[in-house]
Amino acid sequence: MSPLATKIKTSLESEAQQFHDVVDEHMDVPWQEFLRAWGELRAIDILQRDDEGAYFIEVS
Amino acid sequence: MADIGFRSFLDDLDKAGELKRITKPVDCRQLSALGEQADQATIFENIEGYPGWKVATALVSTRKRLGIAMGCTESRIAFEFEEKSSKPIDPVIVNNAPCQEVVMEGDDVDLTSIPLPLMHLYDGGPYISGTFAVSQDPDHGSNVGCYRLMYRTPNETGIDLVSPSDMRFYYQRALDKGEPLPIAIAVGVHPLDMLAASYKAPIDTNELALAGGLRGEALEMVKCKTLDLEVPADAEIVLEGELLPIGWTADEGPFGEFSQISGDVKWNPIFRIKCITHRKNPIFYMLQMPWENDWLSAPVTEAAGLQALRVASVQPVDIRAPVGSCGYWALIASIKKRPGEGKNAVTALLSVAEVKYVVVTDDDINIHDPDELDWAIAFRVQADEDAIILKGARAKHIDPSVKSWELGKGGLPTTAKIGIDATIPEGVPPILYRRIKNYGRDRIKLEDFE
Repeated sequence: MSPLATKIKTSLESEAQQFHDVVDEHMDVPWQEFLRAWGELRAIDILQRDDEGAYFIEVS
Repeated sequence: MADIGFRSFLDDLDKAGELKRITKPVDCRQLSALGEQADQATIFENIEGYPGWKVATALVSTRKRLGIAMGCTESRIAFEFEEKSSKPIDPVIVNNAPCQEVVMEGDDVDLTSIPLPLMHLYDGGPYISGTFAVSQDPDHGSNVGCYRLMYRTPNETGIDLVSPSDMRFYYQRALDKGEPLPIAIAVGVHPLDMLAASYKAPIDTNELALAGGLRGEALEMVKCKTLDLEVPADAEIVLEGELLPIGWTADEGPFGEFSQISGDVKWNPIFRIKCITHRKNPIFYMLQMPWENDWLSAPVTEAAGLQALRVASVQPVDIRAPVGSCGYWALIASIKKRPGEGKNAVTALLSVAEVKYVVVTDDDINIHDPDELDWAIAFRVQADEDAIILKGARAKHIDPSVKSWELGKGGLPTTAKIGIDATIPEGVPPILYRRIKNYGRDRIKLEDFE
């Protein structure tokens, strides 16, 4: 997993966030790089959604 | 190549003074907010991190621009759509296509190489909002529709397939056999093709021939690189792949809906992409929600209303799908009425797609003037005689009042509908509606006394 994907994963393990919150935290990252990191998390199927559509990752 | 295409439409907008060019560098995270503020259609010519790409948006977010696409005045759009759609022209197959100038297959497929925008605050991810989706069923032939795609991975998107549609039907049939459904998604086609794709035609209707009718020339199609499907040769980008046979199990959304609501998380299939083709120096089309969608919906809803009225042997004079109903959920029509036809017209219009509110007036009412409409409803309607309520009709999930959250995954909601016959009631002499008029108003002018 890329360092950026790992960073997003850690963040979503600590609290649920709307997609735009995750984006806002990484405005300094080129968009394509951000999308690839997001895709890494999607690919391993660990992203979950709460009632308001926020993303979170359950810590096992 | 055909005369009519996505790029020729951009030229048409430019000539009409309806296209703004932004040459400063723009990040994909800024595109939607900028496009929403522009009072013209907009093309971003310098996308940060995406050399060679441009992004176009808000191409038909006003009725005026849709009129440019249709080649007619704003007031004629529905009638023009109805007339041209009655003269379909079959598509033709071509061998070489601009949309296949660049080809990415297999491991090279990478959606992140396309400048996918983050459009709305509560969206579940970046979206491809303006699509021309082609699918095929062994018994029903090819079908075209418009479906949004949410970025998931470099080769996967979510796809909103919760509402009843032909492609949903095709997908269900494939799913029942445990098979994927091959589909191809074209992005960046002429608005007339988008209109044809969004038309709620009977399942065996050829939307491609409908697009030809609207264009007045055959739509040129090219065979996909990896699928036994054809796509518009003129498109900017094509995604070839399949809907995985997983049913309605993957989270998708929210997305800023054409109902002007942020929407919620839905459960949908996944679209896996096997091949991406595009033009050299492609233009990504970002359909601006809600207005661009609403103005594409309105003429389709209005034309369906005209057709329903004619089938009911009622003579329509004017029709509109109001902006407040997002060009989709309401129809207001005026008719040349014979006894009983107010009710016939209301019933016919309530049968159109998910239209849930209908008003029918006589032809002396200007249905584009809300005050005149209120006047007709105030003085020509008796609620116990002139309001028709239907229960249990087909609905769309994005209408919160249908409580779709109470349904299971993949469930379909229903709705109640109301229609108002605001025509002069039978038995009431029309002279009782003679309008007030000032004595001498036609010949006595205020400016002569100033």
